[in-house]
Amino acid sequence: MNNKEKIITLVLAGGKGERLYPLTRDRAKPAVPFGGIYRIIDFTLSNAINSGLRRIYILVQYKSFSLQRHIREGWNIFSRELGEFVDLVPAQMRIGEEWYLGTADSVFQNIYLLNQEKPDIVLILSGDHIYKMDYRSLIQFHKEKNADLTISVFEVPVNQASRFGVLKIDKDLRVVDFKEKPEVPEPSPLNPEVSLISMGIYVFNTEILVKRLFEDAKKKDSVHDFGKNIIPSMVGRDKVFAFPFIDENKKETKYWRDIGTIDAYYEANMDLVNVEPILNLYDKDWPIRTYQEQMPPAKTVFSGYDRKGEVLDSIICGGCIVSGAKIFHSVVSPWVHFHSYSEISDSIIFENVEISRYCKIRKAIIDKDVYIPTGIQIGYDEKEDRKRFTVSENGVVVIPKGMKW
Amino acid sequence: MKKTILLIEDEENQRILYSEELEKEGYTVFTASDGLKGLKIIEEKQIDLVVLDIRMPEMDGLETLSKILGERKNLPVIIYTAYPHYKTNFMSWGADIYLVKSSNINELKEKVKELLGE
Repeated sequence: MNNKEKIITLVLAGGKGERLYPLTRDRAKPAVPFGGIYRIIDFTLSNAINSGLRRIYILVQYKSFSLQRHIREGWNIFSRELGEFVDLVPAQMRIGEEWYLGTADSVFQNIYLLNQEKPDIVLILSGDHIYKMDYRSLIQFHKEKNADLTISVFEVPVNQASRFGVLKIDKDLRVVDFKEKPEVPEPSPLNPEVSLISMGIYVFNTEILVKRLFEDAKKKDSVHDFGKNIIPSMVGRDKVFAFPFIDENKKETKYWRDIGTIDAYYEANMDLVNVEPILNLYDKDWPIRTYQEQMPPAKTVFSGYDRKGEVLDSIICGGCIVSGAKIFHSVVSPWVHFHSYSEISDSIIFENVEISRYCKIRKAIIDKDVYIPTGIQIGYDEKEDRKRFTVSENGVVVIPKGMKW
Repeated sequence: MKKTILLIEDEENQRILYSEELEKEGYTVFTASDGLKGLKIIEEKQIDLVVLDIRMPEMDGLETLSKILGERKNLPVIIYTAYPHYKTNFMSWGADIYLVKSSNINELKEKVKELLGE
């Protein structure tokens, strides 16, 4: 990309992630751990730096302590002298006395940031999604089309498109209609079995963005949301184009996940322990980075017949000790200690968890800082589990952060 | 009912001149000498339109405008300043009209009429 052109990246990281409760009880959705060592926002930020974008504001508001710490510790890698930065911008109530109302409001409230930087182009991303993308191709497309707004689009089967913003395009990829969460989604003109949905990735010319934000801010009936208000108000009036997502994940099927629910979250993690996961974390050409503290390597002990430390089909991180326990088909974050004769399968375990002897745990998500006493069973008696914990539609049991017995 | 205008302008002579001219057009005019005082009047009185200078002590016009946008989204605002360069400040785009002061006060009157829908 030509260096003279000024691009600012705004990452919207204010999402509450209510359907991910209780994982979002104490943290914003972008800060939810994923794949052992990552947080959800690491994917978006890695994409940005892999795309050469190093002027990034992260707009945060809701329960942002955990997110702020992660960004401070893990992403403080830019050179301000070279004009690079990743800055956290909490809701400051500069305009009005309210917290951000919708996604557009969070940008509107921070118009002063655009004033300082005066970028030509603003790239707006969501900190909620997991995917790999080179934003350079998107920005290139935006310029070639001489667009005011370009929306990156992903194809999903028509019957699954109702929970997204659905685009209707013409043969030049110009957007002719946009409906947020339509009951009857418009099929793609290229393939009638799929609909084109917005990935929440927008490239705006700064001028038009500012104009439309002010216009929207003055509308009484607006909820100040890009999908519900800004984009529909631009379609048919401004030059709005759809950019078909180009996946850097390099697999047969394109990968983009809006990890909206506990079950979707669980499945996306479980994908990683497959022999051939769809999400490729091992591509050195498109690295995903995160914050990691210094840790001793993971370790297993006891190789006896009865008392055997075993880890199969799993991800296991630094600082873990598997002492005479059996771990199968699970994703384990750093600093987890498993004691003898316990069996853990199909589970996701966050940092700093201790599992005592003779526990049996199946199909569970155990959040941070949990101590599980001797002989506890989870995932074997749904009725019992439902009394004590959140259980998802598909039967995934969630043990909340810091839970005590 | 007479429409009411709030004129926020720090320079006394201009404040008197503009308010008299607007009163001649049949409006009720309140005045304030800076943004803070102006915001207080917006809170207390029923105001239909604001004429806003930019360079002022205490709270300047752009900050005042951002507060107005937060409080009373739909209140029409005319920025009335001697300086055209504030147009490059995105905040100024929040006003309905950006008018550069000149000796021709009719320009202001016309814009006021336009915004008040008369």
